[in-house]
Amino acid sequence: MSLINKTKEFEIISNIITPNSSIIDIGCNDGSLIEYLKSNKNVNARGMEIDQSKVRTCLAKGISVVEGDADTDLFDYPDDLFDYSILTYTLQATKNPKIVLEQLVRIAQKAIVSFPNFGHWSIATSLFFNREMPVNSKLDYSWYETPNLHFCTINDFINLCDGLNIKIEKKADLRKLKFEEFKGKSLYDSYFSDSGLFLISKK
Amino acid sequence: MDENKIIELSSSEKPLLLDCGKSLGPIKIAYTTYGHLNKEKTNAILVCHALTGDQFVASQHPITKKEGWWSNVVGPNKPIDTNKFYVICPNIIGGCMGSTGPKEIDPLTQKEYGLNFPVITISDMVKAQKLLIDHLSIKKLFCVTGGSMGGMLVLEWLSKFPEYVHSAIPIATSVNHSAQNIALNELARQSIMADPNWKSGNYYGTDSQPTKGLSVARMAAHISYLSKESLHQKFGRNLQDKSELDYSFNADFQIESYLRHQGITFVDRFDANSYLYITRAMDYFDITANSNGSLIEAFKKTKSKVLCISFTSDWLYPTSENKKIVKTLNALGIDVSFLEIETENGHDSFLLNEPEFFDALDGFISSTWSEI
Repeated sequence: MSLINKTKEFEIISNIITPNSSIIDIGCNDGSLIEYLKSNKNVNARGMEIDQSKVRTCLAKGISVVEGDADTDLFDYPDDLFDYSILTYTLQATKNPKIVLEQLVRIAQKAIVSFPNFGHWSIATSLFFNREMPVNSKLDYSWYETPNLHFCTINDFINLCDGLNIKIEKKADLRKLKFEEFKGKSLYDSYFSDSGLFLISKK
Repeated sequence: MDENKIIELSSSEKPLLLDCGKSLGPIKIAYTTYGHLNKEKTNAILVCHALTGDQFVASQHPITKKEGWWSNVVGPNKPIDTNKFYVICPNIIGGCMGSTGPKEIDPLTQKEYGLNFPVITISDMVKAQKLLIDHLSIKKLFCVTGGSMGGMLVLEWLSKFPEYVHSAIPIATSVNHSAQNIALNELARQSIMADPNWKSGNYYGTDSQPTKGLSVARMAAHISYLSKESLHQKFGRNLQDKSELDYSFNADFQIESYLRHQGITFVDRFDANSYLYITRAMDYFDITANSNGSLIEAFKKTKSKVLCISFTSDWLYPTSENKKIVKTLNALGIDVSFLEIETENGHDSFLLNEPEFFDALDGFISSTWSEI
């Protein structure tokens, strides 16, 4: 099992980003990924965040941030404005993940997307043996209060990208903490990776 | 603070060329400053006031004796910290607190301008402010900020003099006036002009001033500054100093009494002709006027770091209008931030105690200053 924490995810993302590139972090939270990428890769960064108190936290850190919603506000950006668009652990909370994915690859050359893998063995186990929706460190909400609307498995994500004319360029190996070439569905990942982390682009 | 200063800029030989084709000169600008300009002249913040604001941004108003209209934002240890920054707040031309405007003396005739004052625009106001900034030998303003009409001036600075603006905070504003905005201003102008004491603008020095017309104009405008919720919360259907209806046209309801008070106190500090000229300038404002209607063209030279702020209950300059600015600046790759403050206080929110608004201003200004 490969539990990935925030710092490790930052490291994996940072490793694949070209220095001095322009990025937008959608659902940028308190701006910690942007800060990490600014100091490690000298990126020109923008953030988008739906929670206003977090927007203010970003402002105080000197981060350029727009209070906005991935579902509705990505349309405001022109094509290919950024080198990278980043959406970490937010896709499952959007109203329309399909449109959000299309927007991600429209506004940037490449998009980096991560999400919880609902196909992970622990989730399957929780459903199968306990007959209960899983609650763990990554999915720490009960079913009745979760902001997550659209759970998917790694394989579901791959299928959707195929259908959307989106190319999966790389997938992160969460054990080796780095991106590697995407070679199609992997049985190991679909069972044992608690998260999917992909680099995608327009086909 | 330094005292209110009045300075003569431009001249009859070298007048300010106005958008209407006429020229104006000499012009006077009345302004206040707070804090100290540093040696490098990099710490100046220009504050642009709104329609009925003035240069008394953080000091007692000479007529009303009330504290400055933005004294919760500008001052020592406030979001615009006068311990760090040199704050300049000029009265706009067309205004009535000392800058050249309809109630001032026309040097040609030695009489008040009245309706001989040329129709000015937001762009003309900014050109006049630029003369002041040049006079102060400031090459780059650290920040230009203002709400409502003040926000329009900020946008004009970004568009017309982009190299003079390091950062900008347009608040609760718009890139142009909607039909609804124009309609409300026309209502105000018509109420002034319907007052028999207005006399086509020739009321200066007489005993009869168009106070009733100006007062009604202010009442109408004041409604547009508040939201339905805030009116309901403050006044509801409460009666004013009575328990039963009068069955008359007296101010039975608290809201009536409040509006009448707003109207009556306003006329003591504002000139009716100024109200006509300034509302006209706002109606004429369209940042795309010189760019064939293109917002992108209007801001294409902008390099400043920008923070746009709107308020949820503001129906005069709603979030959707402010977002047009954000969208344009984003498309141009400009460093723009945006937030919408949740409040029930309507358009007036930018003048009121809104801690989250202050927090956002403080965060943006401090972090931008630390980058210099």
